[in-house]
Amino acid sequence: MKDIKRHSAVAFKATPLKNQTYGDWDVVLEYHGEGDGPWLVDLSHRTRLDLQSADLAAKKPFGITIPEVYCQSVLEKGVLINRMNRIQASIYHLDGQSMDTPKEKEYTDVTEATIFVAIFGSNVFSICEKLSALDFIGADKQTPFLFQGPFSHVPCQIVTLGREAEKSGVVLTCSRGYGKHMIDGILHAGEEFGLKPAGEKRFADWINSL
Amino acid sequence: MALTITCPICGKRNGYEFRYGGEEKGPRPDEKDLTPESWCDYVHMNQCVAGVQQEWWFHRDGCGSWFTIFRDTTTNLEKETPEAKE
Repeated sequence: MKDIKRHSAVAFKATPLKNQTYGDWDVVLEYHGEGDGPWLVDLSHRTRLDLQSADLAAKKPFGITIPEVYCQSVLEKGVLINRMNRIQASIYHLDGQSMDTPKEKEYTDVTEATIFVAIFGSNVFSICEKLSALDFIGADKQTPFLFQGPFSHVPCQIVTLGREAEKSGVVLTCSRGYGKHMIDGILHAGEEFGLKPAGEKRFADWINSL
Repeated sequence: MALTITCPICGKRNGYEFRYGGEEKGPRPDEKDLTPESWCDYVHMNQCVAGVQQEWWFHRDGCGSWFTIFRDTTTNLEKETPEAKE
């Protein structure tokens, strides 16, 4: 039997320096010439789950309480949970070793249906401002928080994880089919701010600093 | 003026994120004694109010929810209640 090999829809025109196998994925830990930020990191190999239940309050995925307020998120134990509406929450695995999908029928693994990237570092919100009319700083909200809306004209889920200077950043998912053009759009918008592709090591450092 | 719509999940957003779903026409008519003419009227005929009307919208580029709002068709502004005046 052949080994399964999975490929991200995101591809950077940068030279990888360090790679690592992550399940069936080949993940770049570091690229040549990552610069001083801001950075764009491909996280498409990280597990994303969709949770749907008529009684979300009774669910505690990975022992974490789902926020009651719509569009509020919670980041605990390296797992980000976003309350989407009355019956639905999205779950992103951001840090640590791989995450197992719970056995209950309410959980659906959507990892291979979407792309998943992080944009973080200085001037992140100036880049986002060029691609979307949504206010990702959300001064009246408590981080992390979720937006469901257009980014570069594509329906996305965008979560603001930090908004303080160098620690500011967002993670974004959208349908896999938009992957190539979404990345082209983000890199083009970020060109004037020095946005560069970066490996997962840079992302791990950022998440741990939050 | 550009239309903004308040989604019950996402809050106030640009009208271009939404798809119009038609006037609110009340519940589907009872199938007992339903004639083709009355069904056709329910589906296709509209009030076309010049003023505040209740209508359905779909948050196409956002959370994907269907909901109703009140909108003044003469000013293209969302209203909190059907009685709202300028």
